[in-house]
Amino acid sequence: MEESEKESLDTVSPENAEGSQNQDELIMAQEKEIAEEVSQLQSKFSRIRRTRPDGNCFLRGFIFAYLDYCVQNREELTRFKKILESSKNELFDLGFPKFTTEDFYDMFVEVVSDLEANGTSQRVESICNDSGTSDYLVVYLRLLISAHLQKNAEFFSFFIEGGRSEVEPMYRECDHLHIVALTAALDICVSVIYLDRGKAESLAIHNFPEDKDPLFFMLYRPNHYDLLYKT
Amino acid sequence: MSTPARRRLMRDFKRLQEDPPAGVSAAPTENNIMLWNAVIFGPHDTPFEDGTFKLTLEFTEEYPNKPPTVKFVSKMFHPNVYADGGICLDILQNRWSPTYDVAAILTSIQSLLDEPNPNSPANSLAAQLYQESRREYEKRVAAIVEQSWLNFQLQIDSLISS
Repeated sequence: MEESEKESLDTVSPENAEGSQNQDELIMAQEKEIAEEVSQLQSKFSRIRRTRPDGNCFLRGFIFAYLDYCVQNREELTRFKKILESSKNELFDLGFPKFTTEDFYDMFVEVVSDLEANGTSQRVESICNDSGTSDYLVVYLRLLISAHLQKNAEFFSFFIEGGRSEVEPMYRECDHLHIVALTAALDICVSVIYLDRGKAESLAIHNFPEDKDPLFFMLYRPNHYDLLYKT
Repeated sequence: MSTPARRRLMRDFKRLQEDPPAGVSAAPTENNIMLWNAVIFGPHDTPFEDGTFKLTLEFTEEYPNKPPTVKFVSKMFHPNVYADGGICLDILQNRWSPTYDVAAILTSIQSLLDEPNPNSPANSLAAQLYQESRREYEKRVAAIVEQSWLNFQLQIDSLISS
């Protein structure tokens, strides 16, 4: 991760319509063999919102898109706040250090309460583009993932070795299982479109979990996640 | 200027004062909240008992996303401490979690004193003696314990006389 790269991009950039510079860059950057996938992508999605490529991009994109969805669907914001509030004691019960965990938790609740009062997409954008706040939200999501993996250790032990030391450190990119854990912990669905399969004939789209309708869409290219918006 | 790192460091300091962990103490330097001095007392019933070891913690604006640089200022003889005082401890490197605070860091280093990891030696002589000649190892440790105590005494004397 280049320091300059980290600083040069907003944590979550403005949406860009198709044909804008970022979108061109997205298309140009792809090798010819996935031209078919790219054209399928363009037919389904018209806009992209880029996230800062610092290893927290999945979580930065995720929390932006989710809070943005919540301010437009207030009952989801209420539901999320309940989950958030009950998560604190769950984390304590699992042995997370009370004093520091509470610091991250308090910041999250402050953000959600602020959105209950002043919830607009612009507000979400400005919250998520404040680096300090964004970092705190990302840390708390990492704790939720870590907690979910610990609570379901038996299930996940078939797949993972590192456990909490793989997810809690910042700037370490989320993998498949972290997405499974996070969406399960919050009981929501997100769709990830994978643009890394080379000569595949159709786009690889994976919903987490598979039996639900996604609230938003993310684009995966090797080592990076951005947000996608439908036409 | 208040930044997330500075805000959190104030919080860490407040906690150390209100709920001090046993056997460690720390405070920011007078003019710079990003630089802390700390003391770890050698744990009882270990070769490090009675030692008063001074350390520095250097934070960046990335704290608590990234760990501070922690170094022993007092001379140390330990398998996981480098000659310059640098410490080889997983939670200060790849296993760092933003949920660790100053108290947790110092308590972990205190535990490391009597539970070295000879498999990743920063001081190969200390690691070798720890594994092959415990008596000689403890003799070397006793020497730095005594030295730490003398230095501590000198400082107290100079404080009193000034």
